[in-house]
This record gives sequence, C-alpha cells and structure tokens, in this order.
Amino acid sequence: MLSISNLRKTYNRQVHALRGVDLHVPSGMFGLLGPNGSGKTTLMKIVATLLEPDSGKVMIDGTDLITRKDHARRLLGYLPQEFGFYPTLTAEQTLNYLAKLKGVWEPKERRNLIGALLEKVNLSAQRNQRVGGFSGGMRQRLGIAQALIGQPQLIIVDEPTAGLDPEERMRFHNLLSDTVREGTVVILSTHIVSDVSALCTHMAIIRHGEILASCVPQQAIDALKETVWEGTVSREAAPRIKAECKVISSQTFNGLPRLRVISERQRPSEEFAPAVPTLEDYYLSRVNQ
Amino acid sequence: MMSRTAFAAVFQNELILNSKRIAPYALIFLFAANAVLWWGWSAAATFGWAINSDFNIVRNFQGFSFILGLPLFNALLMGDPVVRDFNTGIDSLIFSKPVSRGSYLLGKFCANFFVLVCCMAAFMLTGLLLQLFPLPRIIVFPVRVFPYFKHFFLIPVISHLLLAVVFFTLATLKRNAKFAYAAAVAFYPLYFAYQLLVLRNLPPDWRVVLDPMMLSAFHVPRDRWVDADSINQIVISYSSGMIANRALILILVALIFMVLYFRFTITETERSRGEYLALNLAASEETVHVDPEERFQHVDVRANVSVPAVALVNKGARQLIAATSVELILLRHERSLILLLPLSILVSFLSLPFSAGVTGVSHSAIFAGSSARGLSLFLLGMIVFYVGEAMHRDREARIEPLLWSAPARNNVLLLSKFLAVLLLSLLLLIVAGLAAMLTQFLRGQTPIDVASYLLIYTLILVPSLIFMAAASLALNVLLRDKYLCYAVTIAMGSALIYLYSQGFNHWFYNPVLYGLWTESDFASRERVSYLMWLRVYCMALAAVGLVAAHAFFPRRSS
Repeated sequence: MLSISNLRKTYNRQVHALRGVDLHVPSGMFGLLGPNGSGKTTLMKIVATLLEPDSGKVMIDGTDLITRKDHARRLLGYLPQEFGFYPTLTAEQTLNYLAKLKGVWEPKERRNLIGALLEKVNLSAQRNQRVGGFSGGMRQRLGIAQALIGQPQLIIVDEPTAGLDPEERMRFHNLLSDTVREGTVVILSTHIVSDVSALCTHMAIIRHGEILASCVPQQAIDALKETVWEGTVSREAAPRIKAECKVISSQTFNGLPRLRVISERQRPSEEFAPAVPTLEDYYLSRVNQ
Repeated sequence: MMSRTAFAAVFQNELILNSKRIAPYALIFLFAANAVLWWGWSAAATFGWAINSDFNIVRNFQGFSFILGLPLFNALLMGDPVVRDFNTGIDSLIFSKPVSRGSYLLGKFCANFFVLVCCMAAFMLTGLLLQLFPLPRIIVFPVRVFPYFKHFFLIPVISHLLLAVVFFTLATLKRNAKFAYAAAVAFYPLYFAYQLLVLRNLPPDWRVVLDPMMLSAFHVPRDRWVDADSINQIVISYSSGMIANRALILILVALIFMVLYFRFTITETERSRGEYLALNLAASEETVHVDPEERFQHVDVRANVSVPAVALVNKGARQLIAATSVELILLRHERSLILLLPLSILVSFLSLPFSAGVTGVSHSAIFAGSSARGLSLFLLGMIVFYVGEAMHRDREARIEPLLWSAPARNNVLLLSKFLAVLLLSLLLLIVAGLAAMLTQFLRGQTPIDVASYLLIYTLILVPSLIFMAAASLALNVLLRDKYLCYAVTIAMGSALIYLYSQGFNHWFYNPVLYGLWTESDFASRERVSYLMWLRVYCMALAAVGLVAAHAFFPRRSS
C-alpha cells in the first residue's frame, strides 16, 4: 500500500502544483483523474523520485520514497507521460540496458526476462528492429515492457493512452490490467474517465493540487443514483435551470441546449428525464464544484 | 507569391526567439571583449600603427571574420531556425496558415542573419568607441566613424552572408542543424585547400576577385609592418576587382537561396521523423511503419505470457560497464565519427616534420612530439563536442525519465558518458599514433622507438584528454545547455590560447601544457619527473571537475 501525506510542491514560488496532498493507494489498479494542469504529473514525478517536493511523505511498506530514492527505484516501474528511446538502439538492446540498470545481472535470467517481456507486449518479431522506426503504439508497448522489469511493487503510468488510436488504446488497457500481480500498486494517471472506469478498482480526483475525492468507482456511481437528469430545454429556460441545479454538462442539440444536471430532490422541469449515472457524471460534478 | 505580412511576422518572431536565447548575448560579449583585446594588445600596439588607421581597421575586420571561430558562430545561429520548427512540431501549425515558402524562408534567414550582424557589430562598435579612450602606448588619429561602418559592411558582413546562406541551406534542406555545424568545421580546411590549390596559382587580380573572405585583398608584406608611418598613411579604397568580388558573393547568395527555395518542401520526410527527431507518442506515423494486416491479425496482447521473476543485484561497477558500453554503441552510431577517424590521421600526418630539427633527440621523439602537438587541440575539441552530445542525448531522446527512475547511481550515469568519450578519444589517439609511426617508417627515419611515443602520449596527451573530458562534463552539468557549453569552451579556449601565445603562459592556468614542453624535455629524467608533477596537478583538476559534475547533477539520490 502506498501512502502519501501532506505533499506540497510549488514552482517558482508562485505556482502551487500540490497543496498538501493526502492519499492512500491500495494494491491493484488505482486511477488518478484530473483535468490538465491539476497536478497529476507533478504528483507522479514525485512518487517516481524524479522531482523533489517542498514537504511531505510518500511511504510504501514503511519506506519513505522521498528520503530513500535508491531503494524506491528498485520497487518502481515508471512509464512517463512523455518519453522516448535512443532511436539507434534496437528494442532488445534498449530493454537489455534498462534491465542492467535495474540490477538484473544474471545473463540467462535477463535474456529470458527480455524475451518474455517482448513476447508479452507482442514485439518479439521487432526485437532486432531499431526503436527509431517504431510507431507510437509500439513505442508505448515497449515503454510498458521496460516498466515491468524486475517485478516492480509500484507501477506508475502517466497519461499512457494520449495520442493512441482506439484499437491501440484497448490493447494497452488489456496489457495494463494483465500486469497487476498480487500486492502490486499500479497508479494510472489520466484525464480520460473511461480509462479509469474500465481498469481501476479505486480512484481519486485531483484539481488545483488538491484531492477532491478518493473512492471506489462503483460507489461513486451509486452515490449519484436517481439524481442525474437529462433534457433539452428552450434557450430562455436554460439560465434558470443552470442557476437552480448543478449542471454536469451542456451541449447544443438541434439548436437547443441539452443539459445533464444533478438534482437530488426533484425533477428540474418537465423536459427532464432520469438518466443512468456514469463515472464521468461523478467526475464532472466534483471537478466543476 | 511572397506576402509582406507573413515575412514580417516570421522575421519578428525570429527576433523574439533570438532575444530569449543566450547565444546572441554571449556572442556580443565575446566579440566586444575581442575588440578590447585587439585594441590594446594587437599588432597595432606592437608596431605603432594608429588604432583607427584604415589599414588597421580593415586588417581587424579581415581577422575578425576569419579567426576566432566566427564561421562556427555563424553556423550556430544559421543552422537551426527552420530545423527548430520541425523539431518542436510547430511546422504543421505554421504551414497550415497562408505562408508562402518564400516569405517563410526569407523571414527566417533575414532575421537570423540580422541577429548575427548585430552580434558582429559589437566588435565594430566597441572598436569605434575605444577611439575615445586611448592608452598612452597606443597611437590614435582623430575620431573616425564612417570607415568603421563602410569596411564592416563590405568585409565581414558580405563575406558572412555567403557562409550564412550556405549553412542555412544545408541545415534546412537536410532538416538537421548538424550539417551546418559540420560545414562550419569543414570550412577551415576547405578554405586553406582553396587558398593553396587554387588561389595561390592565380594572378593577383583574380586572387582578389575569387577570394570569398577577401583575405587576399589589402595585402601588405610583413617586412613593411615595422614602418608605422607608411602603414598609417595607407588609404583603403576598393578596386574594381574587390567590388566584383563583393558583387559575385551577392549573386552567389541569390543563386543558393533560389536553390533552397525550389528544393525546400514543407512535407516532413519519413527519414527525419523516424531517426533524428525527438520521439512523440502522439506521432502520426502509425500506418507508416506497421503493416495494416499485421496490426489486425497479430498484435493482441499475450495475456498468457508470464514474466519470469528475476534477482535484482546492486552492483555499481557492472552497471557502469553496461552504461559505458551503451554509450559507446551510441557514439558508434554518430555519423560524424566517420569523418573524425580519417581526420585524426590527417591531422597527425600534417603535423609531422619532414626533417629532424632538434639535435640530440630521436626521430621517434620528434614524430611523437609533433603529432602530440598537432593532435592535442583536435582531440580536445572532439572531447568537448562529444561530451556535449552525450550529456544532452538522454534529454533530447526523452529517455531521461526512464533512466533517472532506474536504481542506478548518479556516478553510473555520469561516469559512463565520461568514460565512453575518453575511450573514443584514446582510440583516435592510438590510430593517429600508428599513422605517425607508419609515416616515420615510410620516410625512412628509423628506428621506430615505440617507448618514446608511449611516454609522450601518456604524459602529455592522456592527462589533458582526461582533464578536458572532466571539465566538459562539469560545464555541461552546470550550464545545462549544449550550445552554450560549446560557445563558452570556444571562447575560453580562444582567449587562453591568445594569452599563452602572448607569453602569459604558466602551468597553473594551463593544465593541458600548451606550449610548455618540448621533445628535448623527454631526454632528461629531471624534466620528465617535473612534467609528471604537472600532470598530477592536471589529474587533480580533473577530479575536481568530476566531483563538481556529481555534486551539481540535477538528479537527486539518497
């Protein structure tokens, strides 16, 4: 279990990226949701030992990752939001190098590990191909392969599906959910709600460097039961509804405003019908508070 | 059709971008400092020429435009304006706007050349201002303004316009700034070869017309330099040959720019995206590299594949070897290495004497000493270049977060780069040494005493290479910008060599022992032991460099 307490980070004394984050991350897939600029990547970088916080602790199994970085890096598998590889090295050379840095020294063991990882991410056929010629999806798969070296207890995956096509994204989801072993913590940082609802057993929402909610996705959806309404209203009525109810989303449909709102007590007006709540409703309702 | 608005927008934006770079300010400082040096401590002060005489002004501009690396700085500014757009990925945003190729290229070129001229003007304006502050030992005519501007425009500006358009065209068409830098490095040997093989065989008038740097013009024989009165009387006027030269340059510039205009394409080459540019997860080349059928049939994740458990061992020395071997593989893929290997042999060969000049010293010692002298600057420069490349490669390839989150110590990441570049330079040294021995054998100046080579190379070159690699490592960690490091190193190196050549030479601030040893030193046991002590000092400085690099390395460990 990963425990983060009172984590603070300020850039240039002005931008408060994290304002005292407290978070408990259990084993399994954990989704960290938040809009762009909410502090997700800063939090991930701190947990991945790449950034120094101003204050706070990040504990895993009784070890503080901030003060014992070398130890933390042994437990860690990290797939950053933006990364690359040496374009002139082959996939096998790349994994071989990163495995050695990780401390996998037995040559036969390393060979078997790299073979299995390449097989797992379906890059066996490209093992001797230079990474410079890989597509975005192939590179991403090689990225997850390197993050799995050495049975990491903590895997951090930061915005992994940005820029991938739907097919590659689904493939990546399967790969990611397949990596979870017993006792492993996998943190998936993303702004795509469907990624979290498809993969994660627990989640948190972060905005402006603060944790707004930490819960189980199904519980979050259940909490909105019989409170979500959807309807198309006239332009004149829209401002009144927006003032009276908490609006989750507003779209224009056939030239008229189509609103999705939360109303706990009663139907907002006759045009509204009950809607099945989704995780996205929960996320938007918390973020737009 | 060229749009004036688009041209102005590109031009202004380039000026803004340059105003946020360190390089132009560093160049302004460097050129102004250079002007101060040439004002008080140049041939004018030595021979009693008036500092603002026509001859001295022109001579200074000729020297300024050729020596102290101005062609390199030219390439530094002109090499990356277009490449930068492709690397940052803003190219598609720009070319989706109504911007013609002409206005885009001309805007980029004119703005960057304007910045270069502004930097160069620091030399001219400093010289102009210094007329007002005469030193007692310097002769100064009444203040003159027009000759400074006239000669500045006609000599360095037009000469460097040609170099600028060549560098700009090469880098833009190849989508790689390194082509411009390579061309700038190749400029000196090419120009020397052109002087020796072409210009020297031509009549003087043609020499003036066909010399792009105008170094053949305004020539005064060295024996007349002592006659300060007649030198100060010289009035420089431009002959028809000189004007033809400048016109020829402008025509060449226009022609090269036309070639660029017609060959430049805004579509990105597959090669450049695949091999040379920073990797981008949101890349659009999915369908370029992957066979669509293969994608749909075979790319399912192998859920049934289990990843075997492995034992993790923390062995710093082994990690260092692994990291060094990867750094060596990466260095091997540097295309510039193909050029460097023969170049090191050539440098070694050119520095060898045709006959033994020092009595009491063996042929081998003379050959080893001469090649060591010739190779030292070449190898030191190479080290500076490759350390810069190695130190910034991880960030440029965006692999830094993956490496930095691995449980490897900082010294593994740093020393691997240091050792890889050092091993490469030692390899080049061995190759160049073998070439020197072969030359000695072919010239019949035998016997070949390998021990002399070993002694001189080990005592003079190897410690200097270690020092330079450590110093470059520290500088790259401290400054965190590859090109700034290059500029600072070139500036410091040039200033130090100038000081050494002026007689201010002491081992305390000359750790590479430039000009502080001769071949005959190696015949005396006392001198050898003295040199060994100096090398201990050099090694101590190298250790300080490595410690500084480690201390200021931005990756934190605990």
